[in-house]
Amino acid sequence: MSEATPQKGESRRGFLTKLTGWLIGLGLVAGSWPFVRALVPNVLYEPPRRFKIGPPDLFQEGVHFLDEHRLFVFRHENAFHAISGVCTHLGCTLKFSPFKQPQELTVRKMSYRSEGEFHCACHGSRFRDEGTNFSGPAPGPLQWYQLELSPEDGQLVVNMTSVVDRDFRLVV
Amino acid sequence: MSLLPKSGIWERLVWSWRPQSDREAGEAVVANFLLHWFPNRVTLKSLSLKYSLYLGTISMVLFGILTVSGVILMFLYVPSVEQAYWWIKDLDYAVSFGWYLRRVHRICAHLMVAAVFLHMFRVFLTGSYKKGSSVGSNRPFNWVLGIVLLVLTLFLSFTGYLLPWDQLAFWAITVGTNIAASVPLFGEEIREFLLGGTLVGQNTLIRFYVLHVVFLPLALFAVAIWHMWRIRKDGGLAIVEQVREKNRERAPEPPAKTKTWSVLGIASGTSVSVLDVGTVDELDSVPSSPFLTTRLLAVTMVTLIVVMLLALVVPAPLEEAANPEVTPNPAKAPWYFLGLQELVSYSALIGGVVLPAIVLLGLALIPYLDREQNRIGYWLTDQSGRRWGVLGLVWGLLWTVACLAIGILFPMRSVFPDIESQLFFDLVNPATLLLLSFVVLYFLVLKLSSSTRTAAIATFCAFIIAFVLLTWTGTMLRGPNWLFYWPWQPWPEHAIPF
Repeated sequence: MSEATPQKGESRRGFLTKLTGWLIGLGLVAGSWPFVRALVPNVLYEPPRRFKIGPPDLFQEGVHFLDEHRLFVFRHENAFHAISGVCTHLGCTLKFSPFKQPQELTVRKMSYRSEGEFHCACHGSRFRDEGTNFSGPAPGPLQWYQLELSPEDGQLVVNMTSVVDRDFRLVV
Repeated sequence: MSLLPKSGIWERLVWSWRPQSDREAGEAVVANFLLHWFPNRVTLKSLSLKYSLYLGTISMVLFGILTVSGVILMFLYVPSVEQAYWWIKDLDYAVSFGWYLRRVHRICAHLMVAAVFLHMFRVFLTGSYKKGSSVGSNRPFNWVLGIVLLVLTLFLSFTGYLLPWDQLAFWAITVGTNIAASVPLFGEEIREFLLGGTLVGQNTLIRFYVLHVVFLPLALFAVAIWHMWRIRKDGGLAIVEQVREKNRERAPEPPAKTKTWSVLGIASGTSVSVLDVGTVDELDSVPSSPFLTTRLLAVTMVTLIVVMLLALVVPAPLEEAANPEVTPNPAKAPWYFLGLQELVSYSALIGGVVLPAIVLLGLALIPYLDREQNRIGYWLTDQSGRRWGVLGLVWGLLWTVACLAIGILFPMRSVFPDIESQLFFDLVNPATLLLLSFVVLYFLVLKLSSSTRTAAIATFCAFIIAFVLLTWTGTMLRGPNWLFYWPWQPWPEHAIPF
């Protein structure tokens, strides 16, 4: 017998020890997987992301805050659009703070008539009323959501699953 | 050994046998766990108040009170979105002493966070995280366990914060979990796992409740036991290294006559010459019982009395019921997170994720970066340590004030109005500047003093003052819309016109 034999035996033992360790480890991971996975919900009983907010005539000229949806709906003559009322920083609800006089503003190469600003109470972020963040820690602009008209009863429908551009308008 | 019938109920319950001889009595002592909780003798230095301040003991006593009051509160609370707030209202107005239970639990939670922080400051400043010369000592690892305990304490407090389900709770948790969402790549997944959904709701409440009453207390208890067991294994509090240092100077014990039991009977011989620095001198030490045990009892009593008195004067606030539609103005996290919230108001990524991660990692690595072993157990080590410590304090004070001033007077988005890149503002902001000032301080002091200990002292002192200043700013100087107000400036009563 050469010297290699005991070494071979040891490496077999080492291999089996390692194999046992790995099997136990894998077994533990696999065995605890159901426990962890069960904590990731499959069904959420949260408010729907697409909902009716009432007939267009309900909204007069100007800005409206829908508190239960944390959403701002703007009406300018016959054109409607909807902007998220949730601060993009850490999720606090924004307040709309109107100007005394509307101002002509150019924000990100778009000129428009500005009615006011959004302010966040948590960390002092501010947004233009077309959604662009201009002060404070907010990392990005507010989202614009798609507005539709319900074919059944003509109510306005907000679709929060569909994000639209800043020039989106629903003309009624 | 004869098994006699045991006389009283106490003996029947706790004695497995009654020792009949001195030898058996000795074995009984050896087998008794309670008598081994503490070492037989304890050095006078370890007992001294001005070294340890008994902050670890105080933290553990507070945890005990929290457990007892918390279990009672569990009988009087239902973690349901519809009911939770009204159970708390009932605690305040309908349950006998319900208000008192709530106050005790709340004040203990705040005190425990404070005590754990102070305990960490004490251990650092006295250099008690150092290995020393005891055989089997691994104090650096016990320091890491201490950091884990700090994190667990903060998590326990934070999860408990949501349970009253009032406006304060709801928005603190909204802000806190959104900070978690700013982790790169899978932040949103972490947030949804914490919340059990996309909004703070019933799933969140039950998650935080179970974490608060089962998971985290058990984890904290287990790690705390480990932490205290390690103190024994590390040869006691780090200040005993001073005693060992002194013992090194005494003469080795001369060889003495010995008797040994061998297979063939008693064999006599001579011992070797011994220099055992680990044996404490009779003059330097006292028996643990009663000298240590009575002190621990006294600390426990004082903690209990202070908590009970504070609970009588410090009210536990309860705001309006949680309302996801209205954010209170200003919306603030618990006080120990307000320093963080101040930094988060500069950048969520740096202030909320990068900086806390670096601070925690830096804290955990302290004993591995600083391996110098001289003068363990002395406050700030020596004259040079004190000098650099003061420099660290001044440095931390100046840079923190500078960063606050930049944050308040020159918001980055006003300084660079044309830049839209979020990455730019995540990199260029006062929180990053503060972090850099710490790094510069560490390497500057390291180069000037060529000592890792003094570099660590300077950086840690700067960290303490920054923590205190930022927390104070977040708590006292931030008003509606997170605007800056001096303490003597009243907040506006109504919404601020712009």
